[in-house]
Amino acid sequence: MSTALEQIEQQIAKLSSKAIKKNTGTIRTIADGVAKIDGLSDVMYNEMVQFPGGAIGIALNLEEDEVGCVILGDVAQLKEGDEVTTTGKLLSVPVGKALLGRAVDALGQPIDGKGPIDSKETYPVERIAPGIIVRKSVTQPLFTGIMAIDSMIPIGRGQRELIIGDRGTGKTTITVDTIINQAKINKVGLASGDPKFRPVYSIYVAIGQKNSNVVRTMSALEAAGALEYTVIVAATAADNPANQYIAPYSGAAMGEWFMENGMDALIVYDDLSKHAVAYRQISLILKRPSGREAYPGDVFYLHSRLLERAARLDGKGSLTALPIIETLAGDVSAYIPTNVISITDGQIFLETDLFNQGIRPAVSVGLSVSRVGSAAQIKATKQVGGKLKGELAQFRELAAFAQFGSDLDAKTKSQLDRGSRIVELFKQPAFSPIPIELQVATLWAMQKGYYDGLDLKKVTAAAAALREFLASRNDALLTKIRTKAALDADLEGELKAALETWKATFSA
Amino acid sequence: MSAHDRSAQQLARQLFKLTVVDGTVSPERVTGVLEFVEKTRPANPVMVLRAYRRLVAAELGRGQAVVEHAGAVTKAMLEQIAAALTQKYHRPVTATARANPALLGGLRVHIGDDVYESSLANQLATLAASL
Repeated sequence: MSTALEQIEQQIAKLSSKAIKKNTGTIRTIADGVAKIDGLSDVMYNEMVQFPGGAIGIALNLEEDEVGCVILGDVAQLKEGDEVTTTGKLLSVPVGKALLGRAVDALGQPIDGKGPIDSKETYPVERIAPGIIVRKSVTQPLFTGIMAIDSMIPIGRGQRELIIGDRGTGKTTITVDTIINQAKINKVGLASGDPKFRPVYSIYVAIGQKNSNVVRTMSALEAAGALEYTVIVAATAADNPANQYIAPYSGAAMGEWFMENGMDALIVYDDLSKHAVAYRQISLILKRPSGREAYPGDVFYLHSRLLERAARLDGKGSLTALPIIETLAGDVSAYIPTNVISITDGQIFLETDLFNQGIRPAVSVGLSVSRVGSAAQIKATKQVGGKLKGELAQFRELAAFAQFGSDLDAKTKSQLDRGSRIVELFKQPAFSPIPIELQVATLWAMQKGYYDGLDLKKVTAAAAALREFLASRNDALLTKIRTKAALDADLEGELKAALETWKATFSA
Repeated sequence: MSAHDRSAQQLARQLFKLTVVDGTVSPERVTGVLEFVEKTRPANPVMVLRAYRRLVAAELGRGQAVVEHAGAVTKAMLEQIAAALTQKYHRPVTATARANPALLGGLRVHIGDDVYESSLANQLATLAASL
């Protein structure tokens, strides 16, 4: 509707010979991607302004006799005294399915060399988050394909789950795994022809990342066949802070299109620590008063208004957000981490120690939580993994005590043994998400003691062999688990028979 | 912005407020302000005067329309433009002409921050952008 009106208005503007009114100003100073402008008396807050040479800016500071603008694009050609014009528009980005499989910049312009994007619609970058009336509680699962997460820290469609940890602990890998898993589920679901199937489209927003890392992520997604369901929004370390500041909002606008049009989307913000740093830089140059760690006073609102845009809408779709925060030396009590922890519906905490011990994904079960909890889990996962979190927590506690002495009673020894087996079972290589039906079967085998006789070091290999066996020979059983989403007596019987066959053939 | 800059801006704004009488810049008051700055020597007088100049220029610009033209503009046309703008902006506006062959044809009127564009060059630029 709005696009049609815009087209008509553009045509009228082209034909009209009437005088066009423009509100202008002149650049007084320009530094570090921020311009101070004289004039622009009609400019609105967050309005897009036009600089010479095609660069655009956003009016962020409206003062008594000057306007502070961040510039998106090349600032090299701009100089003091250049004329700036208001546009009367808020910054908008192209949205829609045409963006899938493409890499775009913070303004939605293609950067992948695959030609122009044929997008008919645009959405404003800044929007008010959906209110409470239109929202629905989070009850539908969004499978990450990571067993430790899906069984113990489940994520639902429309949830905001923070992924937090030090550098090099596998934060991005978890999100890439999740995107790959959505693509796998989409392919199976769309091929099944089930009219109730709702695919999940993904948006990966890279903020302040190295260009090489973005290329690596893109290659991983392409290799896994997930790029066709994914939009990549990149404002890399080489981009100016204004682009890095706007990129997550652009990504959110693209995700909102899917949500508003009855589809489900997943958005990854990688990462919001760098986003806060970019915003701090802009704010300091704009001479806004600084507070704790030199961040401006509205740094909480910066992230809360972004993450509130993730929702599950009544009668429409959903937008699930996976923001990433990088901590320093595991300090989750720093300013930005505590802010984002308080905004999100839970966090997945990744520990360097676990990562270095070879426990990957390095999810710290004790510190990770999902506030949506089991509401976003299928019954089958609850049946096989309901007690896992408690058992693992107990294991960690016992393991800490067991270090001090060797005299342990039989019960403690068995608990320790079981705990170590669960830890081994949850080890999973990167970019290999496990379908939920195979997760259920793997955990069921654990519950029924199928790995008990094995050497501890061989549990991971045994679980992988079991999944391979089931995937190649028991497809019908797996389809039943997936469609029924619960284990009844019949299914358990079939599963037991399949596992007995596997046990007979498996040699450790 | 340093404390010095801020206080200079503040003083300039105060002086500017004193300069405006009945919605227009009073030349007598401007002379008075300059004498005051000369006599009292506030901290960073150059910055104060620069800020003051900017405010006065902006205010004068709001009452003075510059009509850029590519063809001929008659005195009657200028008077007509000035009358229309006086009515629109609810303040006395005078119009001065400035030839600009780059417009190719038509007019461009600057008043304060506003620009009214009715030139051939602009229409061609719009057409080029839409292609």
